[in-house]
Amino acid sequence: METIITYNAVHHNPWGTPITIYFWLVGASAGSFVLSAFGWVFGIKRYKPLALTASILAIAMLMIVPVLLIWDLGKPFRFIYLMLPGFWHGTAPMAWGSLLILSYPISMFVYTYFVIKNDQKWAKIIGIIAIVLALSTHWYTGVVMELNPGRYINHTPLAPLLFLTGAFISGIGLMILVLWIQNQFMREEKKIKWALMEEMGQYMMYGIVFDCFLLFLDFMQTQYGTASENIGHHTVLMEIFFTPYVWLEAVIGLIIPLLILVSPLKRTRLGVYSASLLVAGGVYGMRIWWVMGGLYMQSFY
Amino acid sequence: MTTENKHEGSTHHLREYGAQTPGTKGIPGKKRYSMVIDLRKCIGCMSCVVACKAEYGVPLGVWRTWVMVADKGRYPDSRRIFMPRLCNHCDYPICVRNCPTQATFKHEEGFVLQRYNRCIGCRTCVVACPYNARHFLPAKRTNNNLPKLVVDKCTFCIHRVKKGLVPACVQACVGGARVFGDINNPKSEVAKLVAKERVSVLKPELGTSPSVYYIGGDWEIMDETHNYKNRSAQQKAEFNTFKRNHHGDAFGDIVEGENTMHHVGKNMSDFLASIQHKYHDVVAALKQLLFG
Repeated sequence: METIITYNAVHHNPWGTPITIYFWLVGASAGSFVLSAFGWVFGIKRYKPLALTASILAIAMLMIVPVLLIWDLGKPFRFIYLMLPGFWHGTAPMAWGSLLILSYPISMFVYTYFVIKNDQKWAKIIGIIAIVLALSTHWYTGVVMELNPGRYINHTPLAPLLFLTGAFISGIGLMILVLWIQNQFMREEKKIKWALMEEMGQYMMYGIVFDCFLLFLDFMQTQYGTASENIGHHTVLMEIFFTPYVWLEAVIGLIIPLLILVSPLKRTRLGVYSASLLVAGGVYGMRIWWVMGGLYMQSFY
Repeated sequence: MTTENKHEGSTHHLREYGAQTPGTKGIPGKKRYSMVIDLRKCIGCMSCVVACKAEYGVPLGVWRTWVMVADKGRYPDSRRIFMPRLCNHCDYPICVRNCPTQATFKHEEGFVLQRYNRCIGCRTCVVACPYNARHFLPAKRTNNNLPKLVVDKCTFCIHRVKKGLVPACVQACVGGARVFGDINNPKSEVAKLVAKERVSVLKPELGTSPSVYYIGGDWEIMDETHNYKNRSAQQKAEFNTFKRNHHGDAFGDIVEGENTMHHVGKNMSDFLASIQHKYHDVVAALKQLLFG
């Protein structure tokens, strides 16, 4: 016997575009910072020339985050409550995130200071702390929505991995583009070598393959999972969020760049730059369907 | 007690994390206020919704309680069914453990409450609540002294209960479908109903242990996925109109059947527009801080 719902109260999606942009910025920042740490923390010397640009890019992107987050609050002035001992609530993921978002840029500033001072010892020590904070900050963006069992699309342990992989590839993509622009204004001997950017393109390719694997795992979960997961995938993501889910993330952000990076085009500047642009933009599609798509179905309940 | 309550008794330690979430259901010596809604008696008159709106001055477009309506079957073998909804005042509320500023907390007697002076309006609790029981108060209120831009919810009318009255919705229910009381007291009507009748709760699989019990609940109206799949065309149109015409606050509303990316952009412009009225709030807070 069929039952048709004829009346229900209407509900808003509580989070929207500012949160999607915030997720993208934090991810790209963490990804850029990982590249910065390659030279100073992991000892891969050929990456040292780009460390400063990478950490400045990471800081610049993270500076936009508080503007979005604080003004997205109903009471912006009360953002300080997130850090006050009498208010701070240890079981809330957002409380962890507020500390991470505060400490991550501080550690990056200190790290960048030692990079400028050319102090290898302290740059490495602070760099290790900063990289842990960078990854934790982005891990938190995954879990802040994952730890809501009522949100079927978001409630997957793959969430932090999806976010971190997206961060890694979008960070590299953005970094390659920034280095390309930077090279236009540099003397020949100061320019970042093409071979290095080509190598970064290959790292990006590995990240894309892993991201595709994670998406495949998520897809399998929705096919064999509960009715809510299945309907969430088929009618919310594949219909209403088709553009960000399929076109922006899968096709523009993953499939086309992957095809470029496994073809002979990976050795050409046009190939690597266009793949970088597509990946950096495409990852934003994931942030849209994750936030708005994840919250969509329940707004009808 | 029903099987479910025996189960509650044996598992009440499982989710006692979060600063303020001790489960009190089935604990001897503790009160645990609950509601039983007998759907066989509900006639869908919406008196409860009106009483609640009047009690708290609940703004347009948001609800502390509402009544879902569904049409079951095909003519001539059809009937209309109703399901009142409100905060489930869970024993293990996700909203409480996920609130970053302890703005929402669980009272020892079972009320899940909101402290406006602590709420920062981050809407994490709205994301966490699986029952859509929380709403964000708009910037414009008819009475300027009422809270704005913070999250609000049903309180089980604690101010009335503490005076020995029942919640406004229970008082107004013409069919006597809503029954309120202390489920830990075996002599209370709610305890007797839960013990005697077959009761069900919303989304029991989430482990929230809701304190709103339904008698005669129809799974199709109670199930979120079924709800979503079987919306009437009229309901879809209503939702789309509501979401399309909403301006001024930072919500992530997408209109079904229209360009998603257009609404992502529109959402950003709504966010930017909302900064204007939040800015005045920030200035007022700064003045208060500096000059008292």
